[in-house]
Amino acid sequence: MPLDQVVFWVFAPISVGSAIAMLLQRNAVHAALFLVVNFFTIAVFYLVLGASFLFAVQIIVYAGAIMVLFLFVIMLLGVDRDESLVERLRGQRVLGIALGVGIALELIVAIRAGVGFATKAPADFDQVANQGGNAQALSRVLFRDYFFPFEVTSILLIVAAIAVVVLASRSRRSIARAPVEPARTEEAA
Amino acid sequence: MIDLVWLIPALPLAGSALNLVAGRRLGRRAGWVASIALGAAFVMAVLVLLDLLALGGEEREQAVELFEWIRVGSFTVDWTLRVDPLSVTMALVVTGVGALIHAYAIGYMEHDPRVGRFFAYFNLFAFFMLMLVLADNYLVLYLGWEGVGLCSYLLIGFWYARPAAASAAKKAFVTTRIGDAGMMLGVVLIWIHTGSLDFDTVFGAADGLSNAVATAISLLLLAGAVGKSAQLPLHVWLPDAMEGPTPVSALIHAATMVTAGVYLVVRSHALFEASDVALTVVLVIGLVTGLYAALASIGQFDIKRALAYSTMSQIGFMFFSAGMGFYAGAMLLLVCHAFYKALLFLTAGNVLHGLEDETDMRRMGGLRSDLPVSTVWFAIGALALAGIPPLAGFFAKDHIVSFAATSGREVAWVLASVGAFVSALYIARPLFLAFFGERRNERHAHEASWAMNAPLAVLAFLAVVGGLVLGLTAEGGRLATFLEPVLGVPEHGEAFASEATLVAISIALAVAAVGIAFWVWASGRVNWQAFPERQPELAGWLANAFYVNALYAWLVQHPGKGFGRSLTVVDDGVIDGAVNGVGAEVEHASRLAPRIQRGFVRSYALAFLLGAVALLLFLAVRL
Amino acid sequence: MRTPISYFLVVSAMLFSIGTIGVLVRKNALVIFMSVELQLNAVNLALVSFSRMHNNLNGQVLAFFSMVVAAAEVVVGLAIIVTVYRRRQSASVDDATVLRG
Repeated sequence: MPLDQVVFWVFAPISVGSAIAMLLQRNAVHAALFLVVNFFTIAVFYLVLGASFLFAVQIIVYAGAIMVLFLFVIMLLGVDRDESLVERLRGQRVLGIALGVGIALELIVAIRAGVGFATKAPADFDQVANQGGNAQALSRVLFRDYFFPFEVTSILLIVAAIAVVVLASRSRRSIARAPVEPARTEEAA
Repeated sequence: MIDLVWLIPALPLAGSALNLVAGRRLGRRAGWVASIALGAAFVMAVLVLLDLLALGGEEREQAVELFEWIRVGSFTVDWTLRVDPLSVTMALVVTGVGALIHAYAIGYMEHDPRVGRFFAYFNLFAFFMLMLVLADNYLVLYLGWEGVGLCSYLLIGFWYARPAAASAAKKAFVTTRIGDAGMMLGVVLIWIHTGSLDFDTVFGAADGLSNAVATAISLLLLAGAVGKSAQLPLHVWLPDAMEGPTPVSALIHAATMVTAGVYLVVRSHALFEASDVALTVVLVIGLVTGLYAALASIGQFDIKRALAYSTMSQIGFMFFSAGMGFYAGAMLLLVCHAFYKALLFLTAGNVLHGLEDETDMRRMGGLRSDLPVSTVWFAIGALALAGIPPLAGFFAKDHIVSFAATSGREVAWVLASVGAFVSALYIARPLFLAFFGERRNERHAHEASWAMNAPLAVLAFLAVVGGLVLGLTAEGGRLATFLEPVLGVPEHGEAFASEATLVAISIALAVAAVGIAFWVWASGRVNWQAFPERQPELAGWLANAFYVNALYAWLVQHPGKGFGRSLTVVDDGVIDGAVNGVGAEVEHASRLAPRIQRGFVRSYALAFLLGAVALLLFLAVRL
Repeated sequence: MRTPISYFLVVSAMLFSIGTIGVLVRKNALVIFMSVELQLNAVNLALVSFSRMHNNLNGQVLAFFSMVVAAAEVVVGLAIIVTVYRRRQSASVDDATVLRG
């Protein structure tokens, strides 16, 4: 068994398992930790697929920055208590799972029709697409063919940053108008 | 410099934008901004003229392409400015006279709280007018044409709180719109039959047009010109337009906009000549309007309305001249008329200013002692219009009248001479009524400030020497020679009398008219105030301008109102019924919607996913 | 590489479906948001797989852009959750039902 198949068969079950485990956690913090595991496995898949730059980005941005942000917000809001599992919407859970499984099956059918289960990737990926190293090759494509979209994303990030400042800052007026917040009973408890 | 011709319209546009945005903050400085913008445009126009003069006669038609405007299939329109003797002449009049009137308006509008708005509109008008005269194709010309109509509407109704001003603005807009609709059809016809709207291409193709097509195009264009220039039968708006501030009357309704129709006819002369009746129609309309408005002017006691009918009559003479194929004469009258009519209107503004907006000449009289300077200005303007040599109007009018004689149109010559006589009479009348004779108003008028009189001095100077400079040479004058590359040389032969005889007759008529006017209205020997009692019929016909307004009201207004009333019934029963019925049904149906819309975002997401799964399933089955 | 590309695509499809189910059945806005992130990552995985299959890097570039957009989206989304929480003292989406018909 070649190394990449070993890696796949080790990490694929971890990936799917951690995703399902995330779903089943009642506690938001635990869910976040399982999600981190899942992001790590995806990073490993990137490595196997020859995307070593994205591997690094996945770990730094997703597993690092974004998940820290999630955990930070969870702690900030103090919602690290267990979620009630009572479903108020009739049929929501059953229908949701049924449709989720349904879309998975449909996607797999689509993969079979479009790609085929046995299709192997070309062997010369490192010589053709990744010529000179993945990071170098990616930057060539990024800064040559996709330079304008790349610059546009910088505007997007700035706008997002401004939006967050506006959303998260409490203006003086809203403080004056806001009702006195009820005591945080869950912190006391 | 010719490449910079775009600055001529751009400067007033910039001034207008500045005044629109910051007019309130600028306050009374708004007038200076506007005047300097237009003054700078005038300087640019002079520089362009000098450049043009340096070129040879054949090269004096330049087109400066700015950028492409519309391209749809084979239909292209560019923003191209035309620099040729005709457009430069018009641009010089618009910017020169316009700048003087702007400068005058600084003083006149001093106490108006919305002075910034006023000058923004005023400059915008100058911009559109310049686009009109500098355009190199019919669509840009049409843009300017509609733009000046808009500005005219805004400025007539500038004091919109007065009901008379608001309805006069509406009347002007709607009436000219009738003509403009015809003009638009004419432009469309031009495109259909020549495949282009550019002047050069269209005029080049004019000879190839069939007589019927050329006639249709010319008459449709003429409809626009008639509306804009207040000629019969679309003239009714101009006297009412005097509700606007006096500088507006001077600039828009005397010197520039109303002469746009003349410009259009002169500019399109190739099209008019391709038809065998169009020029005759122009001639008849011009002559009839010239006489009609001259007579109506005598019946007016409102000084501004008298001047408005005078403008109408003078433009009639320009149409008359263009109708004879004597375009240079029309242009000479246009330019000279701009000088002395602007002078007359602004002097009337001085009077209004001094008498606290009194416009009725029956309550003026003897203003000579209170307003000595204004009296001089008005006398110069009136005598220039009357055709007393060597003032500007003499040359302009004399060229036209004698051309009628030398081109073998004896009847037209007689009628034009009568018109010239009545013109001298009607313009001498306000001079003597308002400034001479006994005082009929106890109020003490005060003379306008030097800031208002300075532009008048320039205009008066132009009214005195304009004709001498532009119109006095053997070959019809400098202006005619300058315009020759565009307009060609009119054919004319021998008159039935010698040139000197014709000139003598013309001078004699003018002097006689002024003399009669003095005898009737200023000498005190004729009881002119009793005239309406003695001749109620005639006085009524004159004062109401032959009841054309009443005729239109009877023809259009009453059927219109009846039609409107019947439409109300249909509207209430059928249209409102349908609309309300639909509304009620929707309201009924919408009571069902909240049962699904419970506000739970997750159930919405579920519905969304259901759709996605179903769609994928559909695609899978199709595959 | 001997592993068929479709294996990665199948994992991607499964992760995407799990994320979908998470959005539908969980009530905590933060967990729903994490599920959305899981879906995004599943799609990124598919993009990178396709990039490998077609032997060029366009798919990776698209995945890169999607990460940037996701980062912006997370920041704004979390800020919205914080704002909603401040007003309602709850992170459950079932408590935010003002927009009902």
